[in-house]
Amino acid sequence: MIGFLQNLIDALSLGSLYALAALGIGLLFGILRLTNFAHGDFISFGAYALIVPSLEVTATKFIGNWPWYLTLPAIAALVVLLALLSDFLVFRKLRQASAPTLMIASFAVGYVIQNVILMVYGARPKAIDVWSSLQQQVVIGELRVPQLQLVTIGITIVLMLGLSLFLNRTSYGVQMRAAAEDFRMARYLGVKANFVIGLAFAISGLLAAMVSLLFVSQTGTLSYVMGVPLMLFAFIATVIGGMGSLIGAVIGGFAVGFVSVMCQAYLPEELRSFRDAFVFAIVIAVLIFRPSGLIPTKALVQRV
Amino acid sequence: MLEVDNIHVNYGRLQALRGVSLSVREGEIVCVVGPNGAGKSTTLGAIAGGVTPHAGRITLRGQSLGGLPPEAVARLGVSLVPEGRHVFGSLTVAENLRIGTFQRRDRAAVAADFERILEHFPRLRERLQQPAGRLSGGEQQMLVIGRALMTRPRLVMVDEPSLGLAPKIVDQVYDILIKLRHAANLTLLINEQSSERVLKFADRIYVMRGGRIHLEDRAANLQDGKAIMQAYFGFADGTGAPPPLSPAPTMKRAAE
Ligand SMILES: Nc1ncnc2c1ncn2[C@@H]1O[C@H](COP(=O)(O)OP(=O)(O)OP(=O)(O)O)[C@@H](O)[C@H]1O
Ligand SMILES: [Mg+2]
Repeated sequence: MIGFLQNLIDALSLGSLYALAALGIGLLFGILRLTNFAHGDFISFGAYALIVPSLEVTATKFIGNWPWYLTLPAIAALVVLLALLSDFLVFRKLRQASAPTLMIASFAVGYVIQNVILMVYGARPKAIDVWSSLQQQVVIGELRVPQLQLVTIGITIVLMLGLSLFLNRTSYGVQMRAAAEDFRMARYLGVKANFVIGLAFAISGLLAAMVSLLFVSQTGTLSYVMGVPLMLFAFIATVIGGMGSLIGAVIGGFAVGFVSVMCQAYLPEELRSFRDAFVFAIVIAVLIFRPSGLIPTKALVQRV
Repeated sequence: MLEVDNIHVNYGRLQALRGVSLSVREGEIVCVVGPNGAGKSTTLGAIAGGVTPHAGRITLRGQSLGGLPPEAVARLGVSLVPEGRHVFGSLTVAENLRIGTFQRRDRAAVAADFERILEHFPRLRERLQQPAGRLSGGEQQMLVIGRALMTRPRLVMVDEPSLGLAPKIVDQVYDILIKLRHAANLTLLINEQSSERVLKFADRIYVMRGGRIHLEDRAANLQDGKAIMQAYFGFADGTGAPPPLSPAPTMKRAAE
């Protein structure tokens, strides 16, 4: 029982990362029909921004050395900037483009970011410890939980509540929801297209920045492809959740985290290295029974 | 107030509008009638900035609308209620009504407009907090008209308000539109497939077919319906051929 609870907390904390990343992807998909494969590279960028740019193997912390209440907004601002920049330089030119074109453009943006990181920081993974004091364990009864996991889950809950308040209670949020459902109609009513899209990129960047910080503090390593597997799982989460549904993205993220951790914990030893294959098999099974995801969106059907 | 001057619109190789000109004066009710595929919706879309003509001019009170995005046209006081309603189904009725007001600075007037619209549409008041997707077709039509009015437009363009509604509901919709027109001092440009109903209240009528205007006149001069029939179906004389029961699909005609 204790073992299961322990696993459950692991699952929640991993699921949190996936859910946050999936939200960032889902938001842009909802509004732009863009499946942003550069999202993972936004995450890598946020992590690298913690250290001094150099090709040396040992990382020298820069922003990462600041107190957390400065690190957090600084990294957030940088990743938001990167997200806005990629809209301004690339996606804005492709407003009339089809969904596959947008997706391919996002691959290109992702490659550019990866290669810039390669050029500036080198290819070798670097060790970095951020917020290592959070590795301490909290003892709750018989449970021993790393503080970091609780912080991850806490930050995720705060971000989700914040996003939900924003979308439901503010005029900008309502405009974003309207644009996600029927962009053209929203514009006929005076909603500014580029503003709403910029807002979506900014929020997506903010979410990516939080994933960067939580993820490096868990793994303690930087690598120029570190965002890629996160992006992959988050993308799967949005597909399972039902592309375009934000609640779906969150549920999908936690579901993927849960399945992943439970496979790791309960698969027989010799099968564990095939964990991801099991995760994908379950994903396929879900999609066979619910082809449009757990929370299908009507908007998507109407548009196609 | 609105001048559309010889606009051409193509969708790929299909010529949807082949030189359409029309004008709407302040305070008028102008109706465009024509069969399926005539280009009525395309015309309204072009005025609203959702479709880009490749030739011709559109001016609103002397200002050219050429190249303006839909949101900019909306901010100039032109509101389009498109064909098929397009409510934001997952937003509440209240949110749908408010969506067009976020650009307005006059918050007090927005609140007053909100009340005024709900007085005209009591059914919406009862359902303010429900997702708009759950409304009936008639209620949705009321909602999108109310929503368009919340932007404080001077010109409202309504594309086939009768589409898919029972005749009794259509009567209600038109009653309200005409009432609102006086109350809010509106100019109306309305598309319909059939001229029957609009002949009763329109000031002027255009008949469109195959991407061209075939007839323009004051409604008072068209009451017998003959001239409209002739323009609508393109007979050589208004008496010859019997009118088909439903307008033939005109995809081909538009492309010829
Ligand atoms: N988005 C589009 N892409 C390609 N062709 C289109 C598009 N919209 C309209 N058309 C074509 O342009 C022509 C004019 O269409 P439009 O919708 O303006 O006609 P309409 O008069 O509004 O017809 P209806 O009474 O059926 O609404 C038609 O031949 C139609 O098939
Ligand atoms: Mg039409």
